[in-house]
Amino acid sequence: MSSARAKILQAIRAASPATSSGKGPIGAQAAALSARAAATRPERVSGPVDAAFLTRLQDPGIGATTERVATLQDFPDAVRRYLAAQGLAAAVAVQPHPELLALDWSGVETHHHIATDEGAAVGLALGGIAETGSLVFHSSAASPTLFAFLPLHHVVAVRAETLWPWLEDYATALATLPQPRNVNLVTGASGTTDIEGTLVRGAHGPGWLHIVLIGSTNAT
Amino acid sequence: MTAAFSARVDAALASPTLKLAIDRTTGTARSKRAAAMAAWPEFNIARDLGRDIKDHVIENLEHYLVTFEKNAIASGAKVHWAETGAQACAIVVDICRKANAKSVTRAKSMLGEEIGLPHALEEAGIERVETDLAEHIIQLAGDPPSHIVWPALHKTREQVAELFRTHHRDPGALASVEAMVGSARRQLREKFMAADVGISGANFLVADTGAVCTVTNEGNAELTTTPPRVHIVTAGIEKLVPSTAHAMAMLRLLVRSATGAELTQYTTFHCGPKQAGDLDGPEEFHIVLVDAGRTRMLAEGLADMLRCIRCGACLNHCVVYRQIGGHAYGATYPGPMGAVLTPSLSGLEAAQDLPRACTLNGQCQEVCPVAIPLPTLLRGWREKAWQQGFEPATVRWAVALWRFLILRPALYAAASAIGLRLMPLFSRNGWISRLPLAGGWTAHRDMPSPTGGTFLAQYKRRMKK
Repeated sequence: MSSARAKILQAIRAASPATSSGKGPIGAQAAALSARAAATRPERVSGPVDAAFLTRLQDPGIGATTERVATLQDFPDAVRRYLAAQGLAAAVAVQPHPELLALDWSGVETHHHIATDEGAAVGLALGGIAETGSLVFHSSAASPTLFAFLPLHHVVAVRAETLWPWLEDYATALATLPQPRNVNLVTGASGTTDIEGTLVRGAHGPGWLHIVLIGSTNAT
Repeated sequence: MTAAFSARVDAALASPTLKLAIDRTTGTARSKRAAAMAAWPEFNIARDLGRDIKDHVIENLEHYLVTFEKNAIASGAKVHWAETGAQACAIVVDICRKANAKSVTRAKSMLGEEIGLPHALEEAGIERVETDLAEHIIQLAGDPPSHIVWPALHKTREQVAELFRTHHRDPGALASVEAMVGSARRQLREKFMAADVGISGANFLVADTGAVCTVTNEGNAELTTTPPRVHIVTAGIEKLVPSTAHAMAMLRLLVRSATGAELTQYTTFHCGPKQAGDLDGPEEFHIVLVDAGRTRMLAEGLADMLRCIRCGACLNHCVVYRQIGGHAYGATYPGPMGAVLTPSLSGLEAAQDLPRACTLNGQCQEVCPVAIPLPTLLRGWREKAWQQGFEPATVRWAVALWRFLILRPALYAAASAIGLRLMPLFSRNGWISRLPLAGGWTAHRDMPSPTGGTFLAQYKRRMKK
């Protein structure tokens, strides 16, 4: 439909006669708009980024639980404790990330594909965002998208040194990374308010999200 | 008021459950938004920024569309252009046919509703599975959406339970809203994985990466777009932002205004098809850029309305919407934003009642996260309706008579003095419950009997003191 393209662009040209002339180059205008964002952010993220991230995740609207361990080697223990506390079977789908595969998962049955009705999955996030308490996943062979959406329980490790303070800091970092097919910002457990505005967890995605923060910002 | 609109409003007001259902959801939405704003004193400057980002994009729309197209193609996406809704539907159906699709999952998109995509898929004989919980409910009920964020807002929990009991494979007891959500989860699980094509809308199109941003709280968008072989996006051409950073600034406004949360549970940027090594994701990624009246809005002086990010705050705060609900508007977009959009999308003559069904109290503009002057735009439609002669003859004569009098102050004073003398004749115990020529007013309320003379007479008296 290249004729549709030509007609739409022609209609735009006809309707907007050079409105932005005199405002400088488009790129400079866009950059000036970006520069104003810092003043519009909620004044919250101050002090250590890891503390801000964990504080944000206390918000009941997000619907996540958190804990902190010293190193990634402590993550399987955290997962075992979580499964036991939730009364779940000792079986998890492990996101096929080399660093997760290298850990000692003894005592837990592990598999590396995700089933439609997966009970629990463990993952490693690319990073997190303190402002919103979000986890960041970039789709890849080591991070299939469905690991964050199919399980009922999702237990995710994120390293303190990979936390960004603000949404914009992540956006800046993204520009320097290879663009993945999917960027998933996961902010808490799945929820819906579609029936009478009542919040219910586990609509289609995970009903439980447990975040294990690895290390601390100060230690790095 | 046209008979069709009047009949829809009467039906809405007569419904025993609608007001209750509207109050439950919009009440929660208003209080959650208010709490979010109380924790965000920067809202006013953030709103100015949101307005300016969208205005900048609209002023440079051709530049951003072409940039987005170039970057989307570079990411492996196929970009299609549609001048009309029908063209867009034809493109989508054609892609589905080429993919030999039997089943399509769909993540809620108001543009999809606007262009009639659900109907077009059904006509093509393709199974359509709505995956957003609210869209699933109204698909079972055979209803159109009644709100742009909560499409099933008109359904009470009792009505939802009844629908699920009838249609779900394994409904269980359905004694609570939790149980209803669980039943829908079981019902839709296999459908997600079995679909041949997933269709979504777009909250933002990011020009400098060619990515499409969607936001959901349920996770249904990603479960719709990841498993099938083909993902199709339909998006209005006004959805552009220059970069991911600009999208973040807009997300702060959108989510707080819609649900009171700071960010949706799932915010996803979709960029191209499955890459080498990816274990999931679609093999084909199509983006259909849809005009469907947007360039006409630009030409008609409605550029301000192209800023709209579909948060639904103006609906939740509108005193008219909260009485009559979404269906009474008779269009895809209800409430204040719908009353501005519909005359442009479907023609003013057919939609002339919508701009009139407004008290101009300004609440919508106050809560709008991109500062759209909705009351001004609604007044603009009223003026056009007047100029084009859509007002009924009685209204035109009455206004002509009023004009004649108001231009002659002495005559106006005399006429209103006579009116004031006559009105007490209809009063009983100080209240007027029936008045000639004002039956529409007195049918539902009484009017106090006037005392103390006309306003101007009282004003003159007081100024003398």
